[in-house]
Amino acid sequence: MLVAEVEGLSKRYGTVQALDGVDVAIEPGCTGLVGSNGAGKSTLIKLLLGLLVPDRGRASVLGHDVAADPLAVRARVGYLPEGACLPGDVTAADFVAFMAQLGGLPPRPARERAAEVCYQVGLDEERYRAVGGFSTGMQQRVKLAVALVHDPSFLLLDEPTDGMDPQGREDMLELIGRIRGELGIDVLVSTHLLGDVERVCDRVVMVHGGHVLAQGSIAEVAGTTEPGFGIQLGDNGPEVLAALATAGLEARPSGDDLLVQGSSDLVRDVAAERGWPLRRLVPRAPSLEETFLRLQAAQGGPVAPVAQQAPATPEAAWGVRR
Amino acid sequence: MNQAAPAGTIYDRGYRHYEGPREGRGRRVRAITVAGVRRVLGLKRNWKTKVVPWGLLVLAFGPVLAFIGVRVLFAEAAEDFFTYAQYLRIVAGLLLLFAATAGPELLCPDRRQNVLALIFTRPVTRSDYLLAKLAALLAVVGLIAVVPLVALFVGNTLTADSAATYLREHLDDLGKILVAGTVLTVFYSVTALAAASLTDRRAGATAGDLGVFLGSSALANILFFTAQFDGKRWVTFLSLSGLPGRFVDWLFGAPFDPGTLADQAGFTGPAYLAAMAVVVAVAAALLIWRVLRLRP
Repeated sequence: MLVAEVEGLSKRYGTVQALDGVDVAIEPGCTGLVGSNGAGKSTLIKLLLGLLVPDRGRASVLGHDVAADPLAVRARVGYLPEGACLPGDVTAADFVAFMAQLGGLPPRPARERAAEVCYQVGLDEERYRAVGGFSTGMQQRVKLAVALVHDPSFLLLDEPTDGMDPQGREDMLELIGRIRGELGIDVLVSTHLLGDVERVCDRVVMVHGGHVLAQGSIAEVAGTTEPGFGIQLGDNGPEVLAALATAGLEARPSGDDLLVQGSSDLVRDVAAERGWPLRRLVPRAPSLEETFLRLQAAQGGPVAPVAQQAPATPEAAWGVRR
Repeated sequence: MNQAAPAGTIYDRGYRHYEGPREGRGRRVRAITVAGVRRVLGLKRNWKTKVVPWGLLVLAFGPVLAFIGVRVLFAEAAEDFFTYAQYLRIVAGLLLLFAATAGPELLCPDRRQNVLALIFTRPVTRSDYLLAKLAALLAVVGLIAVVPLVALFVGNTLTADSAATYLREHLDDLGKILVAGTVLTVFYSVTALAAASLTDRRAGATAGDLGVFLGSSALANILFFTAQFDGKRWVTFLSLSGLPGRFVDWLFGAPFDPGTLADQAGFTGPAYLAAMAVVVAVAAALLIWRVLRLRP
């Protein structure tokens, strides 16, 4: 059974078409919803929660039609919104317990469960401090506790690692992995950081300009792009890049290598023609980022970056498959 | 073979799914109401947030308690120290101040800190939210409007020469206290929340609410006493801060102060009650319109 399903969903804000006839199927597991800023990710999540009314199309979540029964959907869904949304002068324990009661838990179980969930997300003694004094990472943990405290079946996480330092980001990704692995809760992670998706998700939905570019397992989606090569040719400098471009090869630097898209025979020919030593030529599977950029370019319009932040590992930038 | 009793227990602190009871809409509304009352009174928050509400509570309850104490010690001397109408007039001023600070405290931070992005992703409708916030404010403002007067009534009863006689002769006063307290509570609460719904800044909402009440009173008096036009007595209804006092005076049979706008306008209590009803209806419509349009 699908966790969520969207058919022909459209939403327009004034002159901006945020979503245009989108079809999405969210299967059980952890799914990444990726796209650049303004691609329509948050709009899709708000439509799934019933917070926005679509212009056309329909959505269902956990078997409930969102338009007909939004409260039933929200009772079973946890949501971690993007940006600041916590009251500064309330303790984390009190606020999480309050949100548990809004999920229908009686006061005493709400307090007990708030303490339990705060512990699970890494807020132990800190939960008795006012949220306003928390770092961004701690606030993200509080938001995650809020999303989990009423025991949802489906979690919607909107930019969960946004603004976090590298260690906090690692911790958050580990928590998301545990939510799916140990807790058995289905998760939809909206992000523009493809490295995060590759870390924790098994499926991906790529959106751009209100359209779905691709969806499926990460291997399937990444496989829609031709494989490339990592090469070390001459000094890998601008002259080499220019020569490769003249030969019709798309190349860009990544660490010690140049990442090249195209035929390896052409690389060999360039090396022979110029007399440059070809010290390295290894096949590289295309990464999600590369796939996304190619699909985005094929869709037309400006190509917007999706991974502003450095990925967790250098390899993740190109998605080396070992 | 008997097994040895376990020497200890291993607790699994891993995540567990919640399998207890789940309550409905009433619980959610009650949770927001209770959180609202706590917020308004500054409970579970730092001491600075307690100064204004508890200061106003002391001002509301202090004179009553002092009066009862004086009555206990010097019964005869203090007999006519306060009438219910006089005390309600004092309380009306406190209610205006209290509601003007508490209303924004209930509505503004949720929008300013974007907490609505979390609240409305629970099974909570905007109507539930509005109902709960209104209930919270009515409860706390009602506390100031009704309880001191009821305490005064009880104190008067217990310190009278004959409690039974006092109760028999003044029972209608208790009814009037409850009616006046309810009317004033609804009037000040709904208008304060309406003002708070217009902005996400607490100070702005408080200043706006007080400014409209005090400014309208000043305007009404200026128009009445300086301008010449037909039917100018109707400007008495422009004075928002004057409406409750005039209704209370009429309810308790107290005459309007001689020479004042109310005295010269010639209207009676029901007219002022109707004017308050109109103000509450307009404020409620504004409040509902604003809250139903809230977007997380």
